[in-house]
Amino acid sequence: MSFLKWNGIDPVKEFIGFENWFELLKDNIFRRALGNNFIIVILSIAIQLPIGMALAVLLDSGGRKLNLFKTVYFFPMLMSSVAVGILFKYVYDPQFGIVTAFLNAVGLKRLVLNWLGEPGVALYSVIAVICWQYIPFYMIYFLAAMTSIPGELFEAAWIDGATRGQYFWQIVLPLLKGTVRTAAILSLVGSLKYFDLIYVMTEGGPVNSTELMATYMYKNAFTTFRMGYGSTVAMALFLVVMVTSILVFSITKREERG
Amino acid sequence: MKKSILRLQVSIICISLIATLALAGCSSANKEKPKQDQSAAQEQTKTAEKSAPAADKEKAEKKKIVFWHIQSTGNGPKIIQNSVDRFKAENPNVEVEVVPLQNDPFKTKLKVAMGAGNPPDIFPTWSGGPLYEYVKAGQVADLTDMMNKDNYKDYFLDGAISMVTFDNKIWGVPVENIAVAGIFYNKKIFEENGLSIPKTYNELVDIVKKLKAKGITPFALANKTKWTGSMYYMYLVDRIGGPDVFKKAATRTGGTFEDEAFVKAGQMVQELVKLGAFSDGYNGLDYDTGQSRTLMYSGKAAMELMGTWNIFTVKSENEKFYNENLDFFPFPAVEGGKGDPNNVVGTVGDNFYSISKKSKNPEDAFKVIQFLIDEESVKERAADGKIPPIKGFKPENPLLQRVMGMLEKAPSVQLWYDQYLPPELGELHKDTCQALFGLSMTPEEVAKKMEEGAKKFFGK
Repeated sequence: MSFLKWNGIDPVKEFIGFENWFELLKDNIFRRALGNNFIIVILSIAIQLPIGMALAVLLDSGGRKLNLFKTVYFFPMLMSSVAVGILFKYVYDPQFGIVTAFLNAVGLKRLVLNWLGEPGVALYSVIAVICWQYIPFYMIYFLAAMTSIPGELFEAAWIDGATRGQYFWQIVLPLLKGTVRTAAILSLVGSLKYFDLIYVMTEGGPVNSTELMATYMYKNAFTTFRMGYGSTVAMALFLVVMVTSILVFSITKREERG
Repeated sequence: MKKSILRLQVSIICISLIATLALAGCSSANKEKPKQDQSAAQEQTKTAEKSAPAADKEKAEKKKIVFWHIQSTGNGPKIIQNSVDRFKAENPNVEVEVVPLQNDPFKTKLKVAMGAGNPPDIFPTWSGGPLYEYVKAGQVADLTDMMNKDNYKDYFLDGAISMVTFDNKIWGVPVENIAVAGIFYNKKIFEENGLSIPKTYNELVDIVKKLKAKGITPFALANKTKWTGSMYYMYLVDRIGGPDVFKKAATRTGGTFEDEAFVKAGQMVQELVKLGAFSDGYNGLDYDTGQSRTLMYSGKAAMELMGTWNIFTVKSENEKFYNENLDFFPFPAVEGGKGDPNNVVGTVGDNFYSISKKSKNPEDAFKVIQFLIDEESVKERAADGKIPPIKGFKPENPLLQRVMGMLEKAPSVQLWYDQYLPPELGELHKDTCQALFGLSMTPEEVAKKMEEGAKKFFGK
């Protein structure tokens, strides 16, 4: 389909060879979308995994009395992205939103920004929400892996006089290596094909500043009646996801085996 | 080391293999999809036929009409159902399947259905570019003869008929609502600050400055939605250069989007932005979730340029505000502008019902549509706060009477640009307009980009 010029309704589909692909290579908005996707990938991995890990360690060492927190922290994960998107539209409201109200209350009025309205800021506002939504997932994921570490190891380390820090860095982390790697790839693939939350919150705007490959694909295929070009974007998205995940997978695997 | 190189090679081969496979799979799958849908649909009808008992022959012969609509709020669905029931009472041999849909999913669903060759008999559009797209694709039935029969088309406002006339043929029936854009304002704020209704753009700028000095946001604007900001731009273009500037540029008949009027309108929009005329963070606020209306209700903002559907949205959301504070005035004139200040931007019909070319019973489908806008439904729509696009209609609501008055006086009604233009250019207009409001493109750049887009699309 990416070789066709088709509006999605006409019975006639015109074959135009690689024209869509040439246009894609020259398309600034697509390039921007690709860049935004990678910013999300990098920040997601850099923010979500460490915080998820820290929370997991906290909950793991806290034992049963922190069970309530486990539920509370996990809560964002239970909400649909669309609901989260609508919720945060109000949170970020520049007049009535909680963020604005909080900054005003603590006397940081000059830090109040147009969270979703400023092209330079909107992407990071959205990333913050993505992190809020997905950190619990990694927390539970790591927590599950940690509970599978046998208790004897902790006792042995304790007897040897290891501190908590040493125990974490030298025993837990190496044992969780595989888990972390899988988490990173999950986060990578998820971030590359990210769609719903962004679409609800900004629709890729303002002025394409939060455009992602998936939102751009949707717009082309279903709003501007350019099914052929939309398919080209979809195909490119697919290739990017596949190539990067295979690369990351092979690199981390090689590292693991030395 | 060697091992890893080997692994890399293997993975590269794997990637390319999978990629080609996926490409091939993807394209063939897509080609087959419409067929599959069709055959699935055929199968469905087959099984339906089979399951119908032979004795019930009369029922099997019943003609069937599938009718999609998007009147999902308030009394909308009820009014439509009442019309259909009246139709059924008079035409017992026709079965009508009414499918109510949500606005945005509907757009996608209609496209997929058309592409798959399985469209509904009756479907709504907003006329303009998207409808013309379907007309060009040969998917819409020509209604000219049926509209001319017994001069049926004279029942409707001329402006409404002209909105669904392409290539000198009529492709749809205007039914739902007339909506024009006007500036809604808070009467109390105007009184308290000694402001009067502006007749010219300069007077409007004065009001903006005065309100700003008092710490009141002059205009509530939720421009994530994009068409909201576009309203200011459309009115300014119209007031500066008259309606022909846009029409000539959009239909490629001797006009260009780089016309002075477009650039000047862009400059004026940016002047307003720089004066702080719009609510904070306007480019991130969402009209659909009411983020601009809450500014009006709370008294933080004094005005909002909006379609007249706003009258009933406000009435249902905040009756107190509606009774005590809400009023509106037409967009002011621009000094030295060519456009008649009585011109309005809006739509004369809102939802237009068309019949798809594949429909087996176009005559019956047309009858169903006639029932949607018969006397009874006109009454029901009026009670629901809508203005049906028919001649001689007198609404009871005083605000709506003024809307009707504006419309009767208007020498020209400009359909929203994003609906008038072909979808691809409509989106480009909304994007560039949002950039204009965000000060991230100059008016000249916007004009140039629109002209380039139009040239590319029309090939001239």
